[in-house]
Amino acid sequence: MKDKLENIAKEVRRGLITALNPGISHHIGCSLGIVELLTYLYFEELHVDPNCPKDSERDMFILSKGHAGIALFTTLAHRGFFDRKLLEGYDQDGGFLPEHATTVVPGVELSTGSLGHGLPVAAGLAVDFMATKSKRRAIVLMSDGELDEGSNWEAIMFGGHRKLANLVAIVDKNGFQGYGVTTDIINLGSIADKVRMFGWDAYEIDGHDFTQMKLAFTQIKQSKSGKPSMIIAKTVKGKGIAGLEGKFESHYHSIDQTTKNAILTEMK
Amino acid sequence: MQSNPKSYFLVGDLGYHAVEAIEQEFPNRFINVGIAEQDMIGIAAGLALNGNKVFVYSIIPFLTMRPFEQIRNDLCYQNLDVVLIGAGGGFAYGVLGPTHFALEDIAIMRSLPNITIFSPADETEAVLQMNLAKHIKGPIYIRTGGRTAPKIFDKRYDLKLGKGKIMCEGEDVWIIATGPILGEAIEAAKEFAKKKIKIGVVNMHTLKPFDKKLVASISGKSKLIVTLEEHFIAGGLGSLVAEVMAEDHGTARLIRMGVDDRFMKEVATTDKYARKILGLDAMGIIQKIKENL
Repeated sequence: MKDKLENIAKEVRRGLITALNPGISHHIGCSLGIVELLTYLYFEELHVDPNCPKDSERDMFILSKGHAGIALFTTLAHRGFFDRKLLEGYDQDGGFLPEHATTVVPGVELSTGSLGHGLPVAAGLAVDFMATKSKRRAIVLMSDGELDEGSNWEAIMFGGHRKLANLVAIVDKNGFQGYGVTTDIINLGSIADKVRMFGWDAYEIDGHDFTQMKLAFTQIKQSKSGKPSMIIAKTVKGKGIAGLEGKFESHYHSIDQTTKNAILTEMK
Repeated sequence: MQSNPKSYFLVGDLGYHAVEAIEQEFPNRFINVGIAEQDMIGIAAGLALNGNKVFVYSIIPFLTMRPFEQIRNDLCYQNLDVVLIGAGGGFAYGVLGPTHFALEDIAIMRSLPNITIFSPADETEAVLQMNLAKHIKGPIYIRTGGRTAPKIFDKRYDLKLGKGKIMCEGEDVWIIATGPILGEAIEAAKEFAKKKIKIGVVNMHTLKPFDKKLVASISGKSKLIVTLEEHFIAGGLGSLVAEVMAEDHGTARLIRMGVDDRFMKEVATTDKYARKILGLDAMGIIQKIKENL
């Protein structure tokens, strides 16, 4: 599994960089940092069918950090939800793909872009799956900075109270948010401890390690606790690109054509 | 909810002595999300995303203003089947004061694409609109008044989506009203009728889609149009009518009656009293029309 997924992630990352519109596209670091998580979800974990994106038995995944839309689009294209050629229209006038996740794109379940929306919606899905005795799951990927939003804590209380065991929230803990370092802005301390107190199970993993992802999801599936789960995945913003790794600036800065070419050459 | 097993009813910890029957009949499809309105709309979106029809009940400020962005992004942008049932249009919450009044909701909700907005004048109209809501796709907002709103319609009628209802025909002067305050307009028209002056009254029970055609036709054949609403003058029914009149070059002048640009400091135990001190009751309407005839 590990080798296969690592190869796919490499392809997705290359596809992501290729899609960037030089001088225009932002949120590059936040997109690169979740490539492994999305690769794992779409190629190993989620019950989804690219040939039938609206399959009535599918798991539903929401990218709450919608600004990393290109990471999701690239993953979906590589999984076969739509023609990879469409990635060429990313962030282009008249193109098919905007920067934020949108349901215009096959396989995208919820249009996002404002933070703190994904988890409440996923909680609604989880309630319905549970009420209809379905085995389907609602899975959300959000950012650590996003946890500043009060709406998430409303949903965390709701999920804990309702024992939504079919709800999984993955936190992309890259340690940065819009204006700087997360611990300098609103220091959440231990996210795991906090959500456990709200009635959730929590797992802390390396967000680039497929074995740890597999282990966490296996534990969730085997758990008899009846609680919702949060996976706190430590990630590196800008992962995989030497000039962007761990850099706050990779949130806003776009790259020029020369840099893009250099990165693509390096990736070969 | 009886005929549609794929439906839910959500409340944000409100509805005491109002929604218990729904909870008892549909315990698995009734959800009190707690005092958490952003979550409430998000959960409604999730339920609707999976093909359910979802009804959400709350007091209007908590239903529309606290979670406005959730309504925009999660309901309207996705065009989901969620019916927002708002209680307390205008001053219906009386002594509870400005935090519980709803005087801005039409302005903000009408700005959203995909949404249908109903503003029933009484319980009969609210029922008719709930029946229509079953067949309308996409988000719907129903702006109801208080529980004590007096009856205007004795029996059900053929209410048409987006078509204003003419309550009585007029000549030079017409009142266009929305919501329970319609009763004041009818009362004012009756007073004029005693003096053989025919004042027309239109019941604008749907605000989106808006009956532009009816407004344009009235403004083309009359001298004065008065709009009446329990809402701030900015952005409400008066603005909707003004927009049509500005584009259609009718013959009528327009007077917009509603709440001026201020938070009310006076205590009012009923909406009736609030209307009176703001000159929005039948007497105030009569006076306003007399001044402008």
